[in-house]
Formats: sequence, structure tokens, C-alpha cells
Amino acid sequence: MNWKKLGRIFDPARHALPGGCTGFAQSPQALAFDDFVRVWFSTREREPGGMYVSHVAWADFDKDFGRVLRVAPRTALPRGALGCFDEHGIFPLSPLRHDGRLLAYTTGWSRRIAVSVETGIGLVESHDGGATFERFGDGPVLSASLHEPCLVGDGFVRVHEGVFHMWYIFGTGWRRHAPDAAPDRTYKIGHATSTDGVAWEKEEARQIVADRLGPDESQALPSVLRIGSRWHMVFCYRQSFDFRGNRERGYRLGHAWSDDLAHWVRDDEALGLDVSADGWDSEMQCYPHLFEWDGRVGLLYNGNAFGRDGFGLAVLA
Amino acid sequence: MYRWEKLGRVFDPQDVAGRSWLKEFAQAPATLVLGDRVRVYFSCRPPAGADGQYVSRSAWVDLDRRNLARILDVAEQPILPLGDTGTFDEFGTYPVSVMPDGDRLVACYAGWTRCASVPFNTAIGLAYSDDGGRTFAKAGPGPVLGYSPDEPFVLSGPKLRRWDGVWHLFYIAGRRWILDQGRPEPVYRIRHATSGDGVRWNKSGRDLIRARLGDDEAQASPDVFRGRRGFHMFLCYRHGTDYRNQARGYRIGYAFSADLVHWERDDARAGLDVSAEGWDSEMVSYPHVFELDGSVYMLYLGNQVGRWGFGLARLDGTLD
Repeated sequence: MNWKKLGRIFDPARHALPGGCTGFAQSPQALAFDDFVRVWFSTREREPGGMYVSHVAWADFDKDFGRVLRVAPRTALPRGALGCFDEHGIFPLSPLRHDGRLLAYTTGWSRRIAVSVETGIGLVESHDGGATFERFGDGPVLSASLHEPCLVGDGFVRVHEGVFHMWYIFGTGWRRHAPDAAPDRTYKIGHATSTDGVAWEKEEARQIVADRLGPDESQALPSVLRIGSRWHMVFCYRQSFDFRGNRERGYRLGHAWSDDLAHWVRDDEALGLDVSADGWDSEMQCYPHLFEWDGRVGLLYNGNAFGRDGFGLAVLA
Repeated sequence: MYRWEKLGRVFDPQDVAGRSWLKEFAQAPATLVLGDRVRVYFSCRPPAGADGQYVSRSAWVDLDRRNLARILDVAEQPILPLGDTGTFDEFGTYPVSVMPDGDRLVACYAGWTRCASVPFNTAIGLAYSDDGGRTFAKAGPGPVLGYSPDEPFVLSGPKLRRWDGVWHLFYIAGRRWILDQGRPEPVYRIRHATSGDGVRWNKSGRDLIRARLGDDEAQASPDVFRGRRGFHMFLCYRHGTDYRNQARGYRIGYAFSADLVHWERDDARAGLDVSAEGWDSEMVSYPHVFELDGSVYMLYLGNQVGRWGFGLARLDGTLD
């Protein structure tokens, strides 16, 4: 694949963000409208105690992504209610146009005691063209199950031949990689199907994309697009510990392809998009989003520090 | 109104020696009738940890079939291990409901995790026993019945049944957390799911039992007994706030259904209330009804939701 890097297209420090958020524009996900492309992303509010809560905002770009037309005046949805799966943040929000409706799958975060968080996937719908969303219910549509014991998240949904397909991640467990370290999580990419987008059939812990780094590889943020006759998946992956500050162990972009949506062949080299020698994406690349607009194929992604300094775009030549 | 003859307390966990994990509480009794004995599964707690928090374990006590006041045996070890770090049952397995399935036994249990903004969350797990119900192995590290849009948290109190080849699970699901003087308290209601194999469940997606104490009523222990005419549910219910006392604490309620779909609540028929004094004078809760050798019995908890064990009552008549 031959990508042309357009560089960073959104720097959160240069815009007023809603909801008291400062910094971070993570996991950008796009939908094209007639005159603009809207990109939803997660940004962060810092609570008095110093902990972060992720909120969903958006920015509208002109069709060449040269200009930010406007930024969300308010967050796209309120945080979840007390004790709910999305009480402590929503990250990310993945939009889907289907049957005249604008739906989105959210990943909700709630804080735990023994480990830092648990997550689940929620469903929301917009009735105002994607400015704001309403929950389908207080609980998730996909969460931990018999063989996927924790950390179900990152749902990305496309409808193909009348079937809803969801690619998402599930946790395989938490582990202390050093005696004095906090538990770290490992997660893998899975697949579920549905006839209505609400009730899902998981493949129940079938890891659909092979590891490159071995069993301690964590895989995240799958996004899938059909280009020609072949399905392509772009995701990110990293080591499960010592990945935050260590450039060699941090997030990189991964790639797999499929001709039948059942079997995926991992082929990272074919993506042909690596970290830059210097600049905003020189240490890591993460949270990719494959999308199509006006017959073009784009890849949004975050760079260093998990998207603290915004997101960039590459376009398929 | 059903007439129950109270036979008194049959098990007090404080009487058990040599088991540090079985120090306090004997909650949510559920029976399995074996040859010469009635095995009563219950949940208990070791002393609270340094943080003041409890972990719940589950165990059993065997009662003599001919004399239910006589204890034959008590589990040497908890019947289920706690879950791994970060899993749904890391901090407790309580309560448990057991049903035979051919040569093995099937158990559903609630697993407990600890949360930051509310004290806990629960989901329902699945386990099997191949040693006659002495110990159980989990079917997987995650829950078999988890959260959904209209059941956002606190799935608990499973009561597993099997009628005419269909598995039924009666359970509770949280509706919302309310703050009572800053303390989060869960409001939960009785729900129902069915399954062909006990693994893949279809939730019926509605509350079975209308609330009687208003929006904040919490309902628990939906124990269903099949009679000749239909299905009898004994349950317990309490006020949503300030319920750790005699006036607003748990009482035993009742509902009847001919078809497992429509339930008619009629608490006046339950027939088992608090005593004037003694171990069950402040509250009665977590009923479990079973039939043994021609009589119908109820096990139930008394004051402080089973801190002092559970008692037994015998029905005068039958449950048709």
C-alpha cells in the first residue's frame, strides 16, 4: 500500500475544546458529509484528584483536510451514570451510517480497585447529524463473557450483505510483569456478528489476527475497509508492559487482510507506514482508523504519547 | 396465606471450628437432596480485611435427611476458587444455585469485583461439579450472564432451575445506584432468562415482579418452586435506603405464575414474617423452598442478612 503522509492535521492545543478538556485528541474516527468530513475523537478532562475522564468531541474538516472548519461546542454525550460501564470515560466513539440512521459504538471505561479499569462496548444514536448522541441503554451491548473475562472494547462495525460485523478487542488477563509493578493488561482482536446491531454473537475468545510479538502482544483499535475485492484491517499493537516510555516497545501500526471476513492474514509490511524519523509520530503510532471519502481512502492515526498532541492523516495514493 | 411452622435456626456459622474462611455469615441457602442427606449450599466470609472489606466464599453443610436439625458434615474448603486479577469474581463467589444434569452438577453463582465509585459490581458465572457437589470447576474465567443495555450492573442472586428440558435462571439486575447520605446503594429487580444448554442464555428483558415499596424497592432471592397448578416464587424485598433496620429491612414476599411469563404478586400469602424476638426478629430474607419426603420446607435468613446463620420452616399443607 502506498500511503502519502499529510502529517498532523489536528493539534488539540490550538483549539478550544468542550467539557473542560485540555489536550489529547485520541482515536480519530471519520464520516464524510456533503461539504465536510467530521472526525470524532476522545479528549480529556482532568478531575480535581488528578485522574482523567475521556470525553468525545469532534472537529469538522474541509474535504482536503487542509482546514478545521469548526470544533464541537459541547461533548457528544454525557458521561455514564453512577456505577455504569462508561462512568469514567468514553474512548473511543466509532460512527456507523446504516439504513438512514447515524449510530455509534462507544467504549466505556469504569475504574476498578484491584486493576485500573474495566471496559465495555455501548451503542448510541444521533438525531442531529452527529453533534450529540443518545444512549441505547445504561448498559453495554458487548462486555466480558465466559471466555473473554475482561476489557471488551474498541468496537468497529460494518454491515456486509445484511450482517453486522464487529471487530473489537477482548482482554486475556491482567498480569504483574515485575514484582513491584501494577498489573498490566493484554488484549487481542476478536469478531462478533449480529442481525440488528444490538444483540451480538461473539466467536468467544477466537483471536482473529496472529501475534507478531508473541503472547504478550496487545492489539487494539481494529478498523476494516474493503479496497477493491479485498478486506483490509489496520490496528495497532505493542508489548504488554514497559510500552509507555520505551520507543522500542510502544505502539506500531499493524495490518491484516482477508478475502472472506473469516480468515485474516497478518502482513504488517504491506501497510508500508512506519514511525517518522522525527516529529509528532516518531516514537509511536496508534489508534488507526481506515475510512473512505469521495472515492479516496484515508488513514487517521495518533502519534507520540497516545495522541496527547493530536492526530494525523495519510492518504492512499 | 401459607402457614409455616418455624423450626428454628439450623445452622450458625459461628459454631463451625477450624475453617478460617468460614467465620461469619451463612447467606443465600440453596439445597441439593442427596441419598441420606440434604446438602445446603451457602455463602460465608472470612473476617474483614485490613481495608474493612469482605470477600465472600461459598460452601455447604450436610443436614441429616431424617432430622434436618442434625449436621452431618461441613465443607472442608470453599467450593469455588476466587477469580484471577481483574476478573469478575476476584473478590467473591456468592450466592450459588446448584442443579443436577445427568452425572454432573451445574452451578450458577454471582462473582464480585470491586469498583472505585460504587463498592462493587457482580455478574453471573457458571461452574460444574464432577464429585457429587463437593467442589466445582469454573466453565470459564468470565461470566456466563453479563451486562446488557437494560441490565447495566449488579447481576446477582441466581436461582437455577430445569423444567421440561429447558434451563431457567431467575436472578436480579441492578436498575440504578442511589446515594443515601453519600453512600451508594443499589436498586435491583427480579429478571429471568432461559437456555437450552445452560451456557447460552436468552434474557426475557423485563421485570417479573412489580414493585410494592415504590421506585426504590430492591428485590432479591427469586426462588421458584413448581407446583401442580403453577409456579410459586418466594422472594425478599426491602426499601432502597436506610434499610439496615427492622422497619425498612428485608421481608419475604410471594408471587404466582401459571406460565412463567405473567406473575401475580401477593405478599400477604407468603406467610413467613419476623419473630417477636430472637435471631429473626429484625428481618427475614433470602428464602429457599424445597420439597423433601412429602413436606415442603423453607430455609431463610434472619437478622443482619444471615450473620447468625439460617433457619428452617415447614409448610402446613402443600404448594400446588
